Parts: sequence; C-alpha cells; structure tokens
Amino acid sequence: MGREIISLSSRVRKEDETDHIYKIKTENLNAWFGTKQALKDINIKIRKNAITAIIGPSGCGKSTLIRCLNRMHELVPSAKVSGKVYIDGIDIYSKNVDPVIVRRKVGMVFQKPNPFPTMSIYDNVAAGLKLNGIRDRKKLDEIVKKSLEQAWLWDEVKNDLDKPGSSLSGGQQQRLCIARALAVEPEVLLLDEPTSALDPIAASKIEQLIVSLKKDYTIVIVTHNMQQAARVSDYTAFLYLGRLIEYDETAKIFSNPKEELTENYIAGRFG
Amino acid sequence: MVEGCKNLVRLMDIGLEKLKNIIVEMGEYSAKTVFLAIDSYLNDQDLMEQLYISAQEIRKMQEEINELAVEMIARYQPVASDLRFLKSCIEIGYGFSRFGRYAFDIAQVLRIFGKLTSCNKESVDNAGKHVKDMIKTSIEAFIEKNIEKAKKVKEMDTYIDKIYLNSLKKAAQMKENQIKCIVSEVLILRYLERIADHATYIADSTIYIVTGEKIPKYTL
Repeated sequence: MGREIISLSSRVRKEDETDHIYKIKTENLNAWFGTKQALKDINIKIRKNAITAIIGPSGCGKSTLIRCLNRMHELVPSAKVSGKVYIDGIDIYSKNVDPVIVRRKVGMVFQKPNPFPTMSIYDNVAAGLKLNGIRDRKKLDEIVKKSLEQAWLWDEVKNDLDKPGSSLSGGQQQRLCIARALAVEPEVLLLDEPTSALDPIAASKIEQLIVSLKKDYTIVIVTHNMQQAARVSDYTAFLYLGRLIEYDETAKIFSNPKEELTENYIAGRFG
Repeated sequence: MVEGCKNLVRLMDIGLEKLKNIIVEMGEYSAKTVFLAIDSYLNDQDLMEQLYISAQEIRKMQEEINELAVEMIARYQPVASDLRFLKSCIEIGYGFSRFGRYAFDIAQVLRIFGKLTSCNKESVDNAGKHVKDMIKTSIEAFIEKNIEKAKKVKEMDTYIDKIYLNSLKKAAQMKENQIKCIVSEVLILRYLERIADHATYIADSTIYIVTGEKIPKYTL
C-alpha cells in the first residue's frame, strides 16, 4: 500500500525511439526457484499487437518467463527474480509499481480451464470487474456481453448466463477463462499452453480466437505444440535450459532457423 | 540429445530417405536419357520411340516424388531443413522431368529432318559434352549436399548460353541450302540450353537445402 500507481500504457521512454513497436522488453532477466536457476539472462523485445510464441522442451523456463512478465513468479515461495521487465517502457519490478495493477494489465490464461466452479457464467466474467469496484449492473452487463463476444462464446451461452461455468465443455470453459481475462481490459494476454487439455476441434477454435484478438492485444503464448506455434504466432522464441537460444519471425524459425539447436528441436531430433 | 534416444529414427527420416533414393534413381535415369538423345543426334540414329518411353517413365517418377512429398507434409508437418528438402525434391523432380521431355524433343528433330550426316555437328557435340557434365555435377551436388559443386553448375551454364546465342547469330547469316542443318542445330542447342537451365535449378535447390538461401530463377 501507499505505492504510486503508474499507468503502464501512459509513457514511452524517450531514449529509444524504436521502442514504440514493442510492448514488452526484458533486460538480463534471471529467475530462480530456491537455488535452481530457471531463466538465464533473457533479453527479449515483444511486439505490440502481435502473437509471440515461446517454445522449448519441458523445464526450459517457458512458463517461468511468462510468469515473470506479470509478476506471478514472485508468488511462488523461494522464487527470485533479477533484471528488468519493461512494459511500455515502465519497469514493472520497480518499487513504485503495484503488482496488482501489473496483473490487471497483463492477463493470464492457464493450461487447464479453471472457471470459478460455484459461480455462474455471468459471475465468472464479472468477478474481476466487481473486485475492481464496478457495481453498476448495466455497465457489468455490457462488459460481460462484450467479453463473451470477443471470446466467441456469447452465442453459445447467452441464454444460460445463470448456469455454473463448470457446466460448459472444456473448450467453452477455456473460452470463458479468456472472456474473464478480457473483461478487466488488459493490454497483454499471456497464454500458458491454453489448448493442451482440449480436443483438436476445441483447440482449433481457441487458435482462431487468439489470432482474432491480436488486433487489440499483445499476446504471448507458451506451447508444447510446434505446429500450433507455427500456425498462430508472428514471432517465435526458442528457450533451452533457461537461455533464449533464438528469436525471430515464426516463418524464419520454422523454415530456416539460424541455430542448430533450434533446428534439432523443431525438427524433433531431441526434446 | 536425450540419453537413450540416440538410436531412435524419426518416422519422417524413413520417408526422406525413400524420397532421396527416388530422386537419385530419377536423376541417373533422366541423365542417361539426355545422353542417349545427344548421341542419337551425333550418330544419326532415330531413337524417338525409345526416348518417348523413357520420358514417360521419368514423368511417372516425378508423380511418385510429388505424391510422397505431399504425403509427408500431411503426415509429419516438416519444418526447417526437412521442409526445404521436400520443397526442393518437388522442384528437382520437375527439373528431371524436363530432361526427359527435351531428350524426346531432340529425338523428334532427327525424325522430322531425317539424316543429317553432312551437317557440321561440332557445336552440338561441344554443348552436349558440357551439358552431360552439368547434369552429372548437379546430381552429385544433390547427393553429397555439396555447395561447391552446385555453384560450379551455375558457372557452366554461361558457356551453353553462349554457344546457343552464337548458333542463333550464325543462323541469321546462313544461305538457304544450309537451312536444314542450322535449324536442327539451333533447335537442339535450344533444348540443350533449357536442359542446362534445369540442371542449374537443381543445383540451386541443393544450395537452398544446405543454406536456406533462395536463388531467383528468372534473371536476365
């Protein structure tokens, strides 16, 4: 408490004119779980209104990296972070930045759909808004509808808004979680293997949804599915043993990677 | 590399190996077909039927390559050098199929013009030897993934272009009674020039497989 709340979208640092095309930038980002180092000197610039995929074998630090982008990593006991993470030029780890504000601006969707089980579909989407103090029913109705539409779920649930979120199919639950994340009007959406618990049809819907969202959001997706990264992302980062091995346009990574390690991983020669 | 997985062969590798073997077989077969067509002209031997059958065989191999490449894309969604290899196999298969087609065209010239014993065949002989060398080198470059050999093929192409252009200029100055010799020569040199171009494209594909560098085909 007592922290100065800084709007993440209000300032662009003057010293780097090219920064305006990037939403997120890390500088020598390191992360640990106890004594185990999960990320080593990650320097990456993530473009605005683009989809960036993070790929790499299990345990390479993919999830840790995105959890550092909204200060969720520090919620794990024994976790530690060093280095810088800038969003719109503001270091989100600086003392005067409220992590709650960071997490509101940087939404997150997880591998397993996790709607609040006892809440209705409507309340699932409205929960974050209510926490932010919005009580006006008309305004809540509007945002709930808009969020469900953006998540391509409105037509399927508009007559069942009072039913529990857990009554939906896996794919619908995941889209409900995306609607819930969108309701608080984030600027960045982090997706941690959002389709790995879904069947291919439901996964394909989520992929189309993700692509449709990039015009309004900056999206970072962690995926084990190489073809999914190739299908949906504009840029791909390959992580290995906590290090950023290669980062380039997705078309380049999947047709002509520069690093042999990347080539071997995406071609299925190890991992 | 994960311990214990070193000896595992990727399912895709089985298909890639099969595809490579078909390409090599097709390359050798289409090279023989071109060699036969050149020799048939030099020796005044009409082999049109035989070369037609060979060209058809080469077309079938091209179909086989295309089908296998498409099946592999559908099954394994290849990326990086695997994807470049598949794309190049389709292009190389097309190049070899053109070898077959032009070999048949050479045979057709002899059938239509009849015996050309009295003609001076030095230009075709020269160009033929050079094109044979280009074809052999382009196939070797592919098998060995040898960029140096692929680059050599590109350099050799200039020589064939020159012989063809000289022949065209000669044709423009020819007297009427020599027309049969010069038309047949120009036609055959034109086919050889096209074969040489396709040998160059095959070499370009090898460079693409190894380095990822795309070489534009249509340059003046």
